[in-house]
Amino acid sequence: MSSLVHFEDVEVGETRRFGRYEVTAEEIIEYARQFDPQPFHIDEEAARQSMFGGLIASGWHTGAMFIRMVCEHLVLGTATTGAVGFDDLKWLKPVRPGDILCVESTVREKIDSPSRRGLGTVKIDSRVLNQRNEAVMTLTSLVLYRRRRT
Amino acid sequence: MRYFEDVQVGEKASLGTHTVTEEEILAFARRYDPQPFHIDAEAAKRSIFGGLIASGWHTCAIMMRMTVEAGRKSRAVTTGSPGVDSCRWLKPVRPGDTLAGRTEVLETWPSRSKPIGFVRSRVEMLNQRGEIVLSLVGIAMYCRREEIPA
Repeated sequence: MSSLVHFEDVEVGETRRFGRYEVTAEEIIEYARQFDPQPFHIDEEAARQSMFGGLIASGWHTGAMFIRMVCEHLVLGTATTGAVGFDDLKWLKPVRPGDILCVESTVREKIDSPSRRGLGTVKIDSRVLNQRNEAVMTLTSLVLYRRRRT
Repeated sequence: MRYFEDVQVGEKASLGTHTVTEEEILAFARRYDPQPFHIDAEAAKRSIFGGLIASGWHTCAIMMRMTVEAGRKSRAVTTGSPGVDSCRWLKPVRPGDTLAGRTEVLETWPSRSKPIGFVRSRVEMLNQRGEIVLSLVGIAMYCRREEIPA
């Protein structure tokens, strides 16, 4: 039997804390120049004068850092095959250069998906936390897990 | 300039188009979402997707870039986003796909405490066959006209 974690192996309520992502000004600016070139993401001086008081990461960049930590720590060893999407994503606090992020994920619900043969959907609540243990982003992911063949 | 007061419920706008290359799919996924079906064409061929597909977070990033550029053209005075109600990756995005974005305003309401207003919109990305590949409902913050200092 495969040692990978399949849909049947996932338990509602399971919580894991993982990842360590050091946020740099260079990376904030690099991501934002490509995908979200608003002044408070790409220009330190303009950011200082904005309501954020300094450079902050694009919210979508925080999402990208989140999925990187998920890939490194959660996807390995699991029979997942991508995600359908997510709900209730909230950008709660600015992410700034020097912040160190991690993720805390809890399995909320398992959903049988009769239309998706051999797959099941797992709803996972995640919080991205900074070094002060403040949640900077929260979301509920809808992750596809393969079922064990019977 | 386009302020909160100028935004009308039901307004629709086009976000332009973007053709996705294999190089950019690989570059994004190697950095942020290194799952086999995003970074390895051979492994992707054997996956349920039958070939390389873009990270959903990459599709969101492309959508954000298109939104920023459309906002510049309409001279929208925005100041970030508190979050996304729902996001669904409905179809795979593959190398060579040309994505077109469109948006519709669903709801607007002013902040009670800050000189801003909230705009809830549906954003959809369609491929060259007219299939919706990404559908999300997100919230943007607009500055209010009357509160802008002289």
